[in-house]
Amino acid sequence: MSKIRTISLKNISKSFGETRALSNCSFEAYAGEVHAVVGENGCGKSTLAKIISGVLLPDSGEIEILGGVNTTPLDARRLGVATIFQEVLVADEANVLDNLFVGSEGFFSVGKSESEKVREASELLTRCIGHDIDLFADVGSLPLNIKQWVVIARAILRRPKVVILDESSAALDLDATNRLHGEIDRLRNEGCTVLIVTHRIAELVRIADRATILRDGAPVGVLEKSEITEAKLLELMTPSDRSVMAQPNVDIKDNKSNLLDSIIEGKSIQLTEGSHSFDFELKPGTIVGLAGLDGHGQDLFARTLAGLYRQNSGTITFRKESGEFIDIDGLERASDLHISWVSGDRKKEGIFPQRSIFDNFAFGIYRRNLGWFGKINKRYAQKAFAQEVKRLKIKTGNTANKITSLSGGNQQKVLISRAFADQPKVIVLNDPARGVDLNTKRDLYKELRNFTESGGAVVYLSSEIEEFLGFADRVDVFYQNAIFRSLDYQSVSEESMLAAMFGQPLGSHVEIV
Amino acid sequence: MLITKTFRSLGSIKIPLILFMILLFVISIQAPKLFSVSGFSNAILVSAPLILATLALTPIVMAGRGAVDLSIGPLISFLNVTLIAWLSGNNITNPIVFCLWAVIAGAGYQIIQALIVTYIRIAPIIVALSGYLILTGVNLMVMSRPGGLSPEWMSSWSGGGEPQIFSPILILVLTALGLWGLFTRTGLYKQLRLVGSDERMAYTSGVRVDFVRIVAYALGGVFAGFAALSYTALVSSGDPTQGATYTLQAVTALVLGGASLSGGRGTATGALLGALNMFLITYLLGAFSFGSLSGYITSLAYGGILAASLLVNVVSNRSSVSRG
Amino acid sequence: MSTSYFYDRCLSRMSIDKSISIDKSIVLGSALLIFLTIMGGFLLEGFFSFQNLRSVLLLAAFLGIASLGQTLVALLGGLDLSIPFIIGSANILLPSLLSSGLPPVLAIVIVLMLGALVGLMNGALSFRLQGQSLIMSLAVGFMAVGATQIYTSIGSEFGGNVFTPIPEWLRNLAAFNGVTFGIQIPPVVFIWAAISILLIWLMRNTWFGISIYAVGGSRVAAHRLRISESRTWIQVHGISGFMSATAGILLLGFSGGGFVGVGDPYLFTTVAAVVIGGTSLLGGSGGYGATILGVLVLTVLTSLLVGLGLSFAAQQAVIGSFIIPMVAVYARSKHIRNQI
Repeated sequence: MSKIRTISLKNISKSFGETRALSNCSFEAYAGEVHAVVGENGCGKSTLAKIISGVLLPDSGEIEILGGVNTTPLDARRLGVATIFQEVLVADEANVLDNLFVGSEGFFSVGKSESEKVREASELLTRCIGHDIDLFADVGSLPLNIKQWVVIARAILRRPKVVILDESSAALDLDATNRLHGEIDRLRNEGCTVLIVTHRIAELVRIADRATILRDGAPVGVLEKSEITEAKLLELMTPSDRSVMAQPNVDIKDNKSNLLDSIIEGKSIQLTEGSHSFDFELKPGTIVGLAGLDGHGQDLFARTLAGLYRQNSGTITFRKESGEFIDIDGLERASDLHISWVSGDRKKEGIFPQRSIFDNFAFGIYRRNLGWFGKINKRYAQKAFAQEVKRLKIKTGNTANKITSLSGGNQQKVLISRAFADQPKVIVLNDPARGVDLNTKRDLYKELRNFTESGGAVVYLSSEIEEFLGFADRVDVFYQNAIFRSLDYQSVSEESMLAAMFGQPLGSHVEIV
Repeated sequence: MLITKTFRSLGSIKIPLILFMILLFVISIQAPKLFSVSGFSNAILVSAPLILATLALTPIVMAGRGAVDLSIGPLISFLNVTLIAWLSGNNITNPIVFCLWAVIAGAGYQIIQALIVTYIRIAPIIVALSGYLILTGVNLMVMSRPGGLSPEWMSSWSGGGEPQIFSPILILVLTALGLWGLFTRTGLYKQLRLVGSDERMAYTSGVRVDFVRIVAYALGGVFAGFAALSYTALVSSGDPTQGATYTLQAVTALVLGGASLSGGRGTATGALLGALNMFLITYLLGAFSFGSLSGYITSLAYGGILAASLLVNVVSNRSSVSRG
Repeated sequence: MSTSYFYDRCLSRMSIDKSISIDKSIVLGSALLIFLTIMGGFLLEGFFSFQNLRSVLLLAAFLGIASLGQTLVALLGGLDLSIPFIIGSANILLPSLLSSGLPPVLAIVIVLMLGALVGLMNGALSFRLQGQSLIMSLAVGFMAVGATQIYTSIGSEFGGNVFTPIPEWLRNLAAFNGVTFGIQIPPVVFIWAAISILLIWLMRNTWFGISIYAVGGSRVAAHRLRISESRTWIQVHGISGFMSATAGILLLGFSGGGFVGVGDPYLFTTVAAVVIGGTSLLGGSGGYGATILGVLVLTVLTSLLVGLGLSFAAQQAVIGSFIIPMVAVYARSKHIRNQI
């Protein structure tokens, strides 16, 4: 195959304020290849995808895409670039057809005739989804996985020369992932450049022709097809001292925890209507991991434990020191029982962006110490804050500065310190390491381990398999809204977790074609 | 397929349509005088400014970002007083100049709003609020109290003599509806709906979001010009004080017609029905004799209808989402 | 996942702008106030006279009291357009109650309670339609005015205007020549000062204040801390209704006769005062202290414009054209590129 270069980026830099997302990043891709862009969260790969899509402008560097330059998504469209963003972007108020052909209209003309659009769209969607859908239904009324397909089909229908998939298979199950890979193959054979931007390396190994690995905003290696292995990818993605993460203290776990009564017990929990039911138990002094492909219920379950979601049926009870069992039936109850919730979606669920670092901490501390007439106890919060800052080594600068002046990792530390300072017995963390640097992760693992050693219990949800290795005492893997398999610390491995995540029998190797 | 499509397009106007039927029915019993030539011609004359004002709000609200142009009333008032004080007052009575001024000044004002929303990036509602304040002030400066006289050709619009159904006012309304009809056949209309529904999606798909928004505002401005013309014909003079009332009525009619104030959804039929319903309600209230209280009861009713239809829209939107 | 990372980076950039903007708002507001005052001194004779100072303070007190609710609602990211209507309603309802023979104190308490009630209703109705809440507040305002006018005009000749003797002490509270314990400044100015101090203290030192900032800053994050969004929202609207009724009562003392349109100017001046002070209309940042600055700027500006012979209409236009540049300084939304 003659190699036609489709994308060429030279020395691209892009900063957001103090943070450098890309520094002197160069990147090339060719026609007819599936090119993976991989790296840990926060390595700059999404920024790279957005620059190629014309959404973001680089601060410096040269771009050449399909022989042109793109400064807006419109330019990118004209050049033949189609991007499927991580977030499922659809217009809920418009029908499927309009959502598929958005941007193809002229000022006056509406583009292709409706019958032609219907024909093309139904052919493609039937192939992708496996059955016909109503093209005139409002997209808002469709389930998430169909919306995801609408977004993917929108890109394919443009007959693009470059397609970028930015973590786009997150909401798809195994079957659908395979169908997506079929589409990717088809695009490649038509001479298209397919960029797959992801941190989920397992699925790449099979389909990528080449892979560029990013770390800290710059490429650290380009692998050809024959060199792409999970081990090699992992090695390049992570700094060499990765293995020095928190080590589980096996003795404590084996000897003590098994004898203790569980602090949370769930019996025949059915998360959503029609899903399988399962049991759950959490003992003091342990860390239980929740894993699964996106949208398989692990997130719902974590929320249920924190009182933010109510299961469809079954009971989840908390065992008080008195031996009394109490149903966790809402946020108020969970909070009264000292179950703390830490979300990785800081921007949405965690921080108050306009408030100071101290306020962000203190807002969570005041409630348990209110005085007469709702008077807050500032002095108490200040003392607690000083303690936590020291313990968690938060780099705060002036604590009267806005929380947003901190890096993502330090913001997360503030939120975690808020949870610790609220005298928790159980901490439920929902992907807390999203977008935080390795050092912060390491501190976090250590603190959580310390917390369990002093008798606390931790439920830890992560979308990155590697996080559980050598850290969780047990990993409950979710599949179709129920725990599919519980893996104890000895049997936790990438292989075993992947198999369970895809609902495969124990010991099988997951085939992604 | 066609039937399901028709049914779906009926979706947002189902409630206004039912209300319309009920109102017609009640009026046919309570005040059947409406169903006569003079009743109809009067109805067209009185409801035309509101229909057009509601139509002027429609493309703007469709463009999203919660853009409810609260300055629509003062804008119509502004066009009205300038037509009377600046043109008619200076003996410029050429109908073409009149119409052009109303349309161009209306569109110009809305384009300025759109530019501020787009490039200075201020929430449309704030821009509309300050526009309201500025225009209300300016209107009073142009004309400190109601007065002046519209040109002769215009007063004949309001059917000085014989009641007529096919008056120039009706033609004005039909022209506006026709313009809207043409607009809905363009690609731009589809883009406007998508921009209003999810701007980021439209932007990343290569839609010129800024351009679409500016055109939507300009179109709204043209309809505002139409509204001002019909309003001037109705009152045959200049009135700087009617701004607030028209804003409230037009916004109420818009919501009553089933438009979503959060964008993406809005139809001319909805605007028309909403405005007609408002007219019919006012007419019906007028048919009962409340004496000196009637004005207050009307404002109580407007407020109540607006509140109720806002709540109904929210509830019906929610149910349509949860269905999926 | 990587979006959140990206987002952090955006936020960190914004934060630099924002942390400056807090200081910026105070500095800009103060500079504006000083500039206007100096201008006034140069252009107008007697601008620094006691008479003028007193009238500025008096008018500022009315606006300040009316803007209190607007500030709190703006901190939650909303706007309350029912304020002028509640002011007008209170202004005609009180004399109507007085003329029906109720003791003044009881009548005032009733009016205040009704104001708070309308506010609470406004909050309850608009809570579910945030983003459009100001349209709902407009609707509630119209209903309140309509209902009040119907009540006051039953058995009365003059709908909008109500004539009845106003108790002397109420007149003294808010009239130009009012006296506070021998000081030639009307008590309403001191009332405003006391309310301001109390509110600012409450906002900083109680769970109530924390809740407002938390909900305005991030609804979801506030919910996770068990701060009830609906309760805060409805409470704040109730306070806004209460304060509007207060303003309406005090304005009655000022003018001596009930007039339903007395609140009309406050529709936008309250918004303008909040914005000029530097409270972001997006919610979560700012405060009543900033609004006080905005109120003073507006009042001094108005007094300057009046002194220069500008009509009420022209003043309105000038104040209106102030809003956009001020919002442009504090509350611009992000470019769409940075929202993806």
